[in-house]
Amino acid sequence: MTAVARYAMVIDLDRCTGCRACMMACKVENNTPEANFWMYVFRFEEGQYPNTHIWFMPRPCMHCDNPPCAKVCPVGARYKRLDGLVATDWDRCIGCRYCEVACPYGVNYFNWKKPSKNYYLDWQDEDVQKVTGGAVPPYRNPDLDQPYGVERRRTAGGGRLMGVIEKCTFCVHRVERGQQPACVQNCPLFALHFGDLDDPNSTVSQLLRRKPSFRLLEELGTEPRVYYVGGHPPSTESRQIEEVKARV
Amino acid sequence: MAEQQGTLPYGIGRFSARLFTLIAGLLLLVAWGLFAYSRQLLEGLVVTGLRDIGTMGGAAWGLYITFDVYFVGVSFAGITVAALIRLFHLDHLRPVSRMAEALTITALILAAFSVMADLGQPLRGFVNLFRYARPQSPFFGTFTLVIAGYLFASLVYLYLDGRRDAALLARRPSRLQGFYRLWAAGYRDTPAERARHDRVTLWLALAIVPLLVTAHSTLGFVFGIQSGRPGWYSTLQAPGFVVMAGVSGIGLLLIIAAIMRAILPEGERVHRGIFRWLGTLLLLLIVAYLYFMVAELLTTMYAGSRHETEISRSLLAGEFAWLFWGSVAGLVLGALVLSLRFLPASFQARIPTISPRWGMVLGIGALILIGLRALQGLDLFSPFSVTTARWLAWLAVALALIAFLLLLPFLTRNVVAAGVAAGILVNFAAIGKRVLLVVPSQTQGMLLPYGPGWYKPTWVEISIIVGLFALGILLYVLFFKIFPVMEVHPTEEGAE
Repeated sequence: MTAVARYAMVIDLDRCTGCRACMMACKVENNTPEANFWMYVFRFEEGQYPNTHIWFMPRPCMHCDNPPCAKVCPVGARYKRLDGLVATDWDRCIGCRYCEVACPYGVNYFNWKKPSKNYYLDWQDEDVQKVTGGAVPPYRNPDLDQPYGVERRRTAGGGRLMGVIEKCTFCVHRVERGQQPACVQNCPLFALHFGDLDDPNSTVSQLLRRKPSFRLLEELGTEPRVYYVGGHPPSTESRQIEEVKARV
Repeated sequence: MAEQQGTLPYGIGRFSARLFTLIAGLLLLVAWGLFAYSRQLLEGLVVTGLRDIGTMGGAAWGLYITFDVYFVGVSFAGITVAALIRLFHLDHLRPVSRMAEALTITALILAAFSVMADLGQPLRGFVNLFRYARPQSPFFGTFTLVIAGYLFASLVYLYLDGRRDAALLARRPSRLQGFYRLWAAGYRDTPAERARHDRVTLWLALAIVPLLVTAHSTLGFVFGIQSGRPGWYSTLQAPGFVVMAGVSGIGLLLIIAAIMRAILPEGERVHRGIFRWLGTLLLLLIVAYLYFMVAELLTTMYAGSRHETEISRSLLAGEFAWLFWGSVAGLVLGALVLSLRFLPASFQARIPTISPRWGMVLGIGALILIGLRALQGLDLFSPFSVTTARWLAWLAVALALIAFLLLLPFLTRNVVAAGVAAGILVNFAAIGKRVLLVVPSQTQGMLLPYGPGWYKPTWVEISIIVGLFALGILLYVLFFKIFPVMEVHPTEEGAE
């Protein structure tokens, strides 16, 4: 890599069908504990019967250029990388949750209990082990334990430790190997795109040139790195259907 | 007030059976709080009512942060009063000076503990907060200015201020003689030494006043500079914190002063003038706070964004209305009680004398009903249906009003009782206002359409907070069992 990339995500709302495959892909890739949705897909309904329409809005972490979460972190566990990713160093986090209250997008998830006790499948359970046959549990994925970035800090994956904060990493462990984040890779309709804004030939640059775009809560000055094309921001008219109210 | 030979003044070192019962009870509460904290350490913060903001629809900060703000607020009173006494030579207030200083130190210790209780990784907190400290984070001010700087300055002030008394007490034989000798550290109360101490405490008091404004402001900025949370983002947050800190702190100091006046054989030294002076200061602070509150609400309701308006509506007429109006009533009634003594004497003379007994009974009844309503509001204990609870709440309001009217003559004539009543009212109001600051902006203040959330504290959080209060009272009582709560008079010094 010669120059540092300027990573961004572009989400094409015209293409999203709200299948939530990205949410699933994220959970599998990052082993996030139960009720944690680093990627979340809003399903909205607008208008009055019979003139209603339904639309969908995926919500990853916005990886802001002016991140309120990184500003308030008292120990620098949440930080902005040169390539634009907003990373969480779970080796350093003290669990004060200031980032969480500072974030206007609600993308942070705290490990309220021991993550190993908070998976959909209890890999330590004997009956489960009969089926898994001693396979390595996904939360032991060695890729997620590596240090990343020029800072060499451990920022990948979820479900690491009780009492620390976690959020979408833009799949830093995949991106550093030149792969797409899991949600982008698994979107069946190519609604999600990820790439380098400094590269004029990247999909994200081309999309942003071609279509008008917006970012969420732009008025707050957070400068998100997630762009939406082909739709409009949610308004007072947007009622959420099938909202996930899963609690730990 | 006959001093026995060889005993120390202000009940130092004397432990009655009642005191032992009190200490045992407090220790039990502390132990219970520790047990609750052990659950939290082992199982994680899942045992609290806190949850993630967003899809979980929770509040990430709850009672711990609420009471951290409250405790830091209470700490205001102490050192401010002590510093004001020193700076403006308010010598008639000197009897409460040390009570106030000890209140500051106790409250700051409790504040530090409640922050620690909030951390998911408390052990890392001890190390990382210093090792990786970032001045850009508003929390930095909480740990450096408030917990460290403010606490340290207060400790030094308490030490210097108590040195003369320690020297006087070290002259007479007692079990604590060694401790006093250590405290006095060579001080012998010569005129030269006294003058030097006078100078040092003056400069220290001068330094403490700006420090305390800054310290309370940084805590306000923890909330006030978050543009992503409607209800928090406000310039008034920091000044409001300073004023509200004064309200709760002076209120508590009034209560403590009244208790000392009642239980100490030398209690008369905490004279009515002190209550009058503190009461007036409290009155001014309450009025300033109410003004801030109205100004802020008008701004958010008139010009605010949709989300700001939503928060304000949830306070004024929504699910937090009972707490909001309860707190406002506490502040307004507190201010009323404190202004009673400004009624013209001719008018006061015409008020009929009514025994305070019935008013107190009704008032306690109203408090119990309001407490039940609060428990129901927090979903902790709901013995009644929603309609019954609403009627009972109105009944409580009516009872409280009648009680207030019945108590008015008593409170008009008794400035100590008025101070205590106002102190209790404004402290409940202060806690209520802090809950209203911390919680609604998280549960109702989501800028993306997640839908409203909810927060209800669990027994763990409540036990830890109760344990902290018990610990505070314990530390306070024990400190004044080894050190004089007021200045030792030379006559007592010569008692040996």
